[in-house]
Parts: sequence; structure tokens; C-alpha cells
Amino acid sequence: MISIRNLHKAFGTNEVLKGISLEVTQGEVLCIIGPSGSGKSTILRCINGLESYDKGETRVDGHLVNRETKDIIWIRTHISMVFQRFNLFPHRTVLENVIEGPVYVKKEDRAQAIRRGKELLERVGLANKADVYPHKLSGGQMQRVAIARALAMQPMAILFDEPTSALDPELVGEVLNVMRKLAEQGMTMLVVTHEMGFAREVADRVVFLDEGVIVED
Amino acid sequence: MVTISSLVLSTFLGLFWALLRTSHIKVLSRISATFVNTIRGIPILVQLFYIYFVLPEIGIQLTAFQAGTIGLGIAYSAYMSEVFRAGIEAIDVGQIEAAQSIGMTRRLIMTRVVLPQAFRIALPPYGNNLIMLLKDSSQTSAITVAELSLESKLIAASSFKNMTVFTLGAIGYLVMSLPLIFLVARLEKRFERA
Repeated sequence: MISIRNLHKAFGTNEVLKGISLEVTQGEVLCIIGPSGSGKSTILRCINGLESYDKGETRVDGHLVNRETKDIIWIRTHISMVFQRFNLFPHRTVLENVIEGPVYVKKEDRAQAIRRGKELLERVGLANKADVYPHKLSGGQMQRVAIARALAMQPMAILFDEPTSALDPELVGEVLNVMRKLAEQGMTMLVVTHEMGFAREVADRVVFLDEGVIVED
Repeated sequence: MVTISSLVLSTFLGLFWALLRTSHIKVLSRISATFVNTIRGIPILVQLFYIYFVLPEIGIQLTAFQAGTIGLGIAYSAYMSEVFRAGIEAIDVGQIEAAQSIGMTRRLIMTRVVLPQAFRIALPPYGNNLIMLLKDSSQTSAITVAELSLESKLIAASSFKNMTVFTLGAIGYLVMSLPLIFLVARLEKRFERA
């Protein structure tokens, strides 16, 4: 489903990715681990075109990822992303955050989007926070809202970019639990993480990245 | 009157300059920067004179009110533009990336994510500009717009009651600007709660 071939990326003279090849199949949970600065997040950002790449190619369901073409919108509406720093929209309530994509990007019926948005909030255990603004939530709650926002797009896969790295230790568990449930339900997930326990327990496959190359699969 | 019409003009024009300035098209951004810096570097009074007295020489005849509106509107669009630009640039890149990641187009990102947040940030300095604009409307008296300052001067000259008339004039400005100050403060509070 996601296919990366010989991916190269440099920031200035700093070569971050030096020929990455990776296949993610439907329903697979793939964890990418490795030291800071090894290019883990950059791989994710290349998959949905938040970052351009220099050489090689990445495809989603056959569609070539290219920031300059209209196809990028198709890719982004089919691949969701969860960020390290949550990046919720602070001027919108929790529910509004969740339905923003369905209503304004996918042009779904608002009433239906709200219904589904509430279901999703229920699924991440935040049904009672629908009308609250994000700044009233804890980090763990914010990240769960971000996961609900990602799910609301009904994506083929979700990219998780260090989803628990910005959280206080006692809040990590609630986010990992939600992710574990998603994995059990068959969601395709690409997870950049430092949580070795989670990787070992939940992932179908773990790749280890160091200095821009995959050293262990 | 001249305050309201030039406020509307300067707000829309200011937003336009700010959008040009923050666009990623270099030419547009440079045009906007040049314009804004030029306007900010010339006193409003000189700009008003230019529009009212120089433009007729090339065949553009404007009434005092029109010239006042356009002059103040353009002058303040430069200040408004800087206020909006600061608001837009203060938005965290993470916000834009989150919007991109759910497939938003550039336009949607602007209207749904960046501008609503930028307006909140821009509100206090915008309110400040609004009050300065109200007071700078007195400068249009120099090109004979019949506003408060000019009227007071005329009445004072004919009645010799300088103290009474100018005191009333000053109070007149306060009566208009104080409610504005309170209105802006209230809006800020409301946004804070959200």
C-alpha cells in the first residue's frame, strides 16, 4: 500500500535519508525506531508530502507522492498523520477539530460528520469533551483528539510521528492504549517511536534506522 | 464619516498587502513590501496634499471627502498590513502542517486555519490603529474635509470662544474614541475565553 524505494533526502549538506526502501502492506503495523536525527520522522513526512525528497520515489496505492501535483491532496485525504506536538486547531472545539477535514475537505454532510465525530470521540474515550477547547485538555487527551481527527478522514493508513514523545510519562499509557486498539482493529499504521515496549508488543514489523539507512528489519 | 470609510478601505487593502507579503511568490511579496515601506515613510499630511492637489493636475479630480478617504485609507492600509502580517507570521508551522495533512488546499488553510487565528493575534494592535486613525482623521481638515477639527476652528474663529469650542472638540474626539477602546478590549476578552 505504501511503497518507498531508494529514498534520498538532504537538508542542505546534511544527508538525512540515504536510500531507504520500505513496503507497508494493508493492515500492517510497522514501527520505525532509531536514535534522534536518524531521519525517522523525515520518512513519514515524505510519505504525505510535508517534505519533498531528492531521489527515489514513494507511492501510496500506486499514486506517486509529489508535492507539486494535485495528487498530493488525494494522498493526504487517504493517509492521516498524528504529530508529536498534536497540532490541534486551538480556535476550534474538540468536535470541530475532528469534523474539520470531513466537512471542509471531503465535503461530507455536516450532521453526519458530527454523528461520526462523536462516535470517534467515544472510541478514544473523550465523548464528554466534545465542546471543550483544546487548551483545557491534558497532553494525553489532546493526542487522543488528534487520533480521532486522523480517523475522521477514514484513512487507509495513519502515520504517527513520535506520538508520545511530548507527553508526561503518566499520560503515555492512555495514548498507547488507543493505538493498540486501532492496531487490533486492523488499521494500517506507521509509527515512529521510542517506546520499545509498544513496538515489541504491537508491531508486526520493526525497522531500525541509523544515519539514514535501515540497519535492521 | 471619513474615519469609517477609510477604516473599511484600509482594512481590506491592509489584508490584501499582508496576503501578498506572506505569499511565497517573491515578486508579489517584494511589491507589497516596497509599497508598505514607502507609504509608512511619508507623513499622512503630505500624502493627503498629494492626492488632493497633485492628482487634479493629471486629470483626477476628487472631492475633499473622497481624497480624505483614499488618503487615510491607503496610509493606514500600510499600518494595518503590518499588523495582519505579524498575526499571520505568528501562526505555528505545526498548524499549517496539520491542515495540510488532512488534505486542505492553500486557500482552505488560509481561511479556516491561519486567518481566524491571525485575527485574534492582530486584534489589540488593530484596535490601536483604529483609534489612531480616528484621531488622524483631523489631518484631513487640511484638505478641507468638514470634520470635527475643521468645524471647531471655523466656529472658534467666528465666535472668539476658543476655550469653549476647542475643549468641546477635544471632548468630541474622546467621546468617539473611548467607546472604541472599550469595544476592542471587550472583543479581546471574548476571544480569550474561546
